[in-house]
This record gives sequence, structure tokens and C-alpha cells, in this order.
Amino acid sequence: MQVGLKVWRFNSRTGERELQEYEIAAPEEATLLDCLDIVKDQHDGTLAYRKSCRMMICGSCGMRMDGAAVLACKTRMYDIAQAGHVPVISAMGNLPIVKDLVVDMEPFWDKFKSVDPFLQPGYEEPPDGKEYRIGQARMNVIHKEALCINCGCCVSECNSMEADPRFLGPQALAKAMRFVGDPRDGNKIARLEKLNGEHGIWECTRCYMCTERCPKGVDPRDAIAKLGAESMHEGIDRDMGAKHAKWFVVSAKTTGWLRETELVPKTQGVISAIKQTRFALDLALKGKVPPPFPPHVAKNVKESRRLHDLTTQQGPKGYMGIVQGERALGKLAHGHTAEDETLAEIYARPGAFTRPFIAGEELEAPVFLEKPPER
Amino acid sequence: MEATHDVLVVGAGCAGMRAAIEAYDAGANVAVISKLHPTRSHSGAAEGGINAALGNAAEDSPEIHAFDTVKGSDYLGDQDAIEIFTREAPGDIYQLEHWGAFFSRMVDGRLAQRPFGAAGSPRTVFAADITGHVLIQVLYEQLVKRDITVYEEYFAWKLVENDGRCQGVICWDLLNGGIKVVGGKTTILATGGQGRIYRTTTNAYACTGDGAAMALRMGLPLKDMEFMQFHPTTLYPTGILLTEGCRGEGAYLINSEGERFMKTYAPNAMELASRDVVSRAEQTEIDAGRGINGSVMLDMRHLGAERIIERLPGSRELSMTFAGLDPIYDPIPVRPGAHYHMGGIETDNDGATELTGLYAAGEVACVSVHGANRLGGNSLMETITFGRRSGRAAAEWALSNTTIDVPRSAEADAERDLRGLLDVTEGERPWQIRNDLGTSMLDNFGVFRREEQMAKQIEIIGELRERYARGVIVEDKGEVFNSDLVQAIELGNMIDLAACMLQAGIARKESRGAHARPYDYPTRDDENFMKHSITRWVGDGPVLSYKDVRYTKYDPMERKY
Repeated sequence: MQVGLKVWRFNSRTGERELQEYEIAAPEEATLLDCLDIVKDQHDGTLAYRKSCRMMICGSCGMRMDGAAVLACKTRMYDIAQAGHVPVISAMGNLPIVKDLVVDMEPFWDKFKSVDPFLQPGYEEPPDGKEYRIGQARMNVIHKEALCINCGCCVSECNSMEADPRFLGPQALAKAMRFVGDPRDGNKIARLEKLNGEHGIWECTRCYMCTERCPKGVDPRDAIAKLGAESMHEGIDRDMGAKHAKWFVVSAKTTGWLRETELVPKTQGVISAIKQTRFALDLALKGKVPPPFPPHVAKNVKESRRLHDLTTQQGPKGYMGIVQGERALGKLAHGHTAEDETLAEIYARPGAFTRPFIAGEELEAPVFLEKPPER
Repeated sequence: MEATHDVLVVGAGCAGMRAAIEAYDAGANVAVISKLHPTRSHSGAAEGGINAALGNAAEDSPEIHAFDTVKGSDYLGDQDAIEIFTREAPGDIYQLEHWGAFFSRMVDGRLAQRPFGAAGSPRTVFAADITGHVLIQVLYEQLVKRDITVYEEYFAWKLVENDGRCQGVICWDLLNGGIKVVGGKTTILATGGQGRIYRTTTNAYACTGDGAAMALRMGLPLKDMEFMQFHPTTLYPTGILLTEGCRGEGAYLINSEGERFMKTYAPNAMELASRDVVSRAEQTEIDAGRGINGSVMLDMRHLGAERIIERLPGSRELSMTFAGLDPIYDPIPVRPGAHYHMGGIETDNDGATELTGLYAAGEVACVSVHGANRLGGNSLMETITFGRRSGRAAAEWALSNTTIDVPRSAEADAERDLRGLLDVTEGERPWQIRNDLGTSMLDNFGVFRREEQMAKQIEIIGELRERYARGVIVEDKGEVFNSDLVQAIELGNMIDLAACMLQAGIARKESRGAHARPYDYPTRDDENFMKHSITRWVGDGPVLSYKDVRYTKYDPMERKY
């Protein structure tokens, strides 16, 4: 088949960018990576990109196609070529470009390293010298996070990182969750304290682009949500982000609607709120803020309260619980229609994506850990 | 010189990282050199699992593991090395688990173990079907924890020998450009395999035998070069690996007549016979016209959705992405593909090579644990156990010796050679030579080997060497991320290694393990060939000799599965 590609070249010496078009002949099963190889071998040996395993496990070939991060080896070109579309290939976002499609991954790895990405055992090694005994279901809590191949696709797409390049970002936070949720780890509180600091979990804007673009189903936004839930469960809630979220719950439970006027002082504190009075008045004059008076309660507030009760009853707290309605999301994402269809059935459909861990499932499975050491 | 270290590890896959960690823990100043970032290493693509006789799923012992490995090696494995290997494996697994490895579990919380080919007991510890990924992650985590220096995207190109010792490595800095010399009191080569010599391979683009080629050029002996394992289940047409774990979980192999053809070739073990046996069976079926598009079918449908989703999600993802087929509903076309090179740099049981200060571990080394045929799950274990042993030995040697002396001329010579490569203007682009090498090796030195085809292949390799020597054009003349240059150097490595493989192959007049000559020497000849072939590069070509297999207590017998 004939494949057309427009590739954003970057010359590191001169700093010039140029969109270069290639037209190549490729076999029908070719992926984007195969096409780039043909370009490099037969058309232009100066084109630079990373590659290695070509089976979506090494994480080398993250790049953008038509502005969206993809693994080049996972992207089949047949349909695109048949449609006569000529995609634009460029380097990943949020990372400095070194040459053509190659980015400098150092900022990525610095953040990875900053979350102490290694087990800090919380238990003595089993006396028989063998493995820690832990049920599979308990380990499944961090199954998705363990799938991460560090390709950087999530970081490339992170909107929050675009605004604050120092934000830890989806990959580092997913990695952090992999250890916060590991029953063998003994440093959960210290980890959470650190993650609740500046540029930490509460800087996520919940745009879900990381989850959308992850080629391995890691679902970093879910990891961030779990870190938030666990932080609150452990009483680590002094960050504005945490207070903000908590006020949403209080507001919805008490009056059934969001009392935005109170949101600012509850989130940022009274002094900060007073400083913003002028801004608030401007907003009010333009009709952007509902008047706080007279206070009212939503007509169907009972429904809101029932929802609240239902959620709090629904299984364990913190990251073991349901942090963002996975069941509903999972069903929506896979075109669920029949009421009685189980998740197992949904994920078993032809072409369905790898099944994620579903919070609340099979958690009665035992954890067999020895007692923690005296500290 | 860039820097000096006690222990330099070249390659950051499982063997390299495990060696680095051990050397660090032994008190050495360690650095790792890798042409990829460590987590990009091809160890991460290992799927099925890692063998250790834990006895969790059924009764097992290091002795049974050793017996299976010796038998699987077709009696070419060194039995003392195999005994060390199987004895130390369980401890290494527990260590990985204590470091946080994300292994799959049994109901009672212990590590789960699955059956694998030619294993007398279910002894393959696994993490669904992404075991290599999990190991790479946990080893990199430990590397980060120790803050070990990593020279990322440094392409190791030449070893520095001075005063009869290996004293460092000359690298090309891929990201920034320029020759970088790193000195080391000891150097451990852990650069992995050379599957890219073949057109259809499960190996990554990075698996080009760089370490073996470097050692070869230092005059060091390579061992058992003729033994390239063909994995029975690689996806048609890309050659991407589907784990042996599929068959371990119960998948069938079916021919075009719908038959489980393994009943003819291995009536007891069926699909779980050793890899050489299954690959030959598949090739026989395909050659006899009972294949479909040059493939047979791997059928998992009877396993059911639940088991496939839980135990084989990666294989399902690969099948869906690269074949457009979902194994829950469709059989998957597979065929044998080049997978693992049993041969490599000759080492002792601590990874030491003939050159003082130089060690090797993992697929680049040949201890030899795998002999003529490796068992599935043994290679990951080898990387860990012998990575650890070589890291320990290299650190101990380095700590009791003090000096490093890299002559200035070494860097200047490398600089000149490099310029020579970049300045070529007459000749051809490397890809044509690379494709010709890959295709001809698959045609003439594949699952079955014929005398006349091997003779022809030797001629072809000679021609390819000439074409390469006449000049390959590197189009990219720049410094920054010049992968064009690296690929040209890698091609030179692969051509020379292929020459070694062929020479050892045509001289081995028997059928043993992965070296099958059904047309002229269909049986094993223990009298003449229960020996390792040893290849050295002398002058302008390889020279072959033989060395006895080390024997403890396992007498050769007929291999039936």
C-alpha cells in the first residue's frame, strides 16, 4: 500500500523546524514504526526516532500522530492509508525536543525518581526466607499501575503539566500509586505527605487525557484519584485541592447544590477569600455568581443525600474503595447496554480492552503478611 | 576519559542490572552503559515466566530442575553450571519478590507457578504474561534506589585492552554525539542476543549481538554459536512472540486439517514438549502442506474468556493489535521464529572470560546452562542468577586491584575509525545488506539445516562482508541522535557473528537440540560431538575448535517427550 506521512523535523543545531512529506510503499500490515523504518532506510537516513521492541512493551516509540500521543509500533496504518489521509507525525509534547521525533526524557525520569519508586518494605521478611504471602486479589489493586512501560504518552498529553511544568504528572503519580497500594510497602504515610505537597496530586485537573492516551491501559487519572482518596482517608487533607473536593461533598450532601460563594473561603481560607472580594464582585455584577442569599435547599436534596449514603456504604475506604465510579465508567466505555451483563462479560467481548481491576471486587481475599517490625 | 569506575556493566537488561546491583552491594563503584534506557531493554519483552524449583504448585526440587535442563540442553549443557543454577534459583526469586516484584499469586498468597515446555513440574514463576516487564521494572527500581550511574543511550562500541586486562569501554554518545571513553577495573558484558541476524525474529531491533562481536574482535572465544533457538509460537507475519505460557495454560496447536499434530511428535508432552521439538514439528507440518499461509494455528478458545483475560492478557493484546484476531474467539496463526541464541562468549561459572577483568552474563554469555536447546523460563532465571554471580565476582576482583590505564591512543583510534565510517560516500545503504542477511539466514540456516544450503550461506555471508567492507553509506553526518551510524555499526557486528554461526553449524555433523540436520545426520552423535564448539576470530575469519562438556552425573539418554 502507499502511505503518506508528514513529519515535523527538528534540527538541533539550528533550532529550525520543518514539515517534511514522505510517500512510501509499505506492506499492508505495516505499523507507523514500520513506515518510519522504510523512510529512514530507503528515503532519508537522517530521520531520527527511538525504537526497540516493536511489540508495545519497551516504551521507546512514543510520538504524536495528528496531535495525539501514540506508540508508533502499536499504530496500524492500513485504514489511514486507505482513507487517503496523510497524518502529521511529531515529537511528544511537554518534553524538550532533541531531534525530529526524539525528545529529552530527562525531566520525565527526574519526576519518576522523585516519588521514591522502589519498595520500602514495611514488614520483616518471612521467617522461612520465602515470599511474602499475599492474595492475588489484593495485588490486583495495583495491577493497572504495574502495567506502565514509561513511554511518556500520558505526560505528552497532560494539560496540567503544560501550565506547570513542575507538576509531577500522570506517570510519576501512577508509579507512586503502585507503591502506595502495595501491601508490602511500609512507607505509605510519608509517601502520601510528599505527594500532597506542591506540584503534587491536587494539581491534576481531571481532564483524563492521560487515561485516554495511555497505550497500555494504566489509567493514570484513576491512580491519582486513588492517591487523593487514600490521602483523605489518612487525614492528609490540608491541601487546597483536598479541601475543595471535601467542600463539594459537604455542599452536595447538605443543600444538594454547589454553594460556590462558600467554596472559595472553604478552599483557600478566609483571608485569601477576602483578598478576592473585588474579583468576586466583578463576577457577581456580570451575573457569573449566583447570589448566596436567600440560602435555599435543592428540591430533590433527598436524592443527593441518598447518593452520598450509597457511595459511603459501597465497600472500603481510600484507594481500596470506589474512587470515581469505575463500574459506571467501565460499562460506558464498552458500550454496555444490557442491565444484567457483568463486567467479566463486557471485557470478554471481541476486541474489548484489557480488563482493569475493579475496586470492591473480591477484596475478601486474604492478605498474609507477618507483623510489622517494631520501629 | 569520561570517568572511571570499579565495575562497568555494558547492557541494562535483567542480567546487566542484576549484576550492577550485586556489584554495588559488594561495595564497588558501579556504572551501567546502555544504548537504550534500562527499562527499554529487551528482557522486558519476556512474557511467560522464570523457572525456579520453589515447589509451590507441585512437588519439585533443584535436582529435577537440573535433570530437565540437562535433558533439554540435549546433553550439551555444562552440568556443574546447571546444578549451581537450579540450586541458587529459588533464593534469587525470593529476593526479587522481597524487592517488590509483581508476581502472580496462588489462592494461599504464595507465588503461582505454571507448567512450561519440557519441565517435570510446574515451576515457572510468572506475572500474568508480562514477566519480563515486571522484572525490568523491579530491577530498575533497585538501581534507582542505589543511585547507580547509568550512561543512557551510550552505544558501547569497543573494549579497551591494556596490559593484558580489559580496562574500559569506548562508546558513542547517541544523544549528544561524540566518542566517550569510560574506564573500568572490570567490565561485565550483558548486551543480550543477536536475533536480528534473522528476518523473522521475536527480538527487538536492539538485539544485534554487539557484546559478542566486541569480544570476538578482542580474540576471545565464542561458544556453541550454531545453536539459535526457534520459538514455536511467533505471530504471522511479524514474528512477534506469543508466550509459551499460552500452551502452559493449555492452548492447542492445530494444523490445516484441524488436528492436534503434536500427538505424532511428542505423544506424552504434546504441545509442551521442548521448543526445538515443537518448532520442528510445526515446520514439518508446514513443509508437508498442512499449514495455512506458512503457519499453524494456536488455539486458545477452549480456555475460556476468564482464563485468557486473567493469565494471558498481553498475548491477547498482541494478537488483537498485530493479527487483528481475538484468541477468545479465533485461533491465531503462528510459526517458528528466531528467538534465543544459546551460544555466546565463553565464561566460567562466575561469568569470567578468558580476558582478565572481562565478564559476561545473560544471553550474550555461554556458561553454558542451555547447551543445544534452552527450556522456556530458564533464560530469565539465568540472567538473574549469573548476573548476580558475575556482579559479585567482578566487584571482588575490582576491589582488590587498583589501577586503570586507558592509553590515549585508544580514543584517537576510535575517533579515526568513526570518521572513516562517516566519510564513506561510495557504496550502498546498510538496509539492503541487512535484509539480504536476514532473509538468507532464515532460508539457509533455520529450523532444519542442509549441508548444501549451509555451504551456500557461507558464500553469501562472504559476499555480504565484501559489500559491507566496500562501504556502507551513513546518510546522517550529524552528532545528535545519529541512529543511522549506530545501525551501520550493528550491521557489521551481525555479519561477523553470522559467519561464526555458519562455520560452527556446517562442522557439527549431527542433530542436537536446535541444530537439526534430518537429511544427512538425523541423530545425535555423542561420541564425536558431545563437545562445545569454540570460535575465535583470527586474521580475517573465524577459526573453530572444540572443548569437552563438563559432566557431573546425568548420563546422556534419548530425548523423548
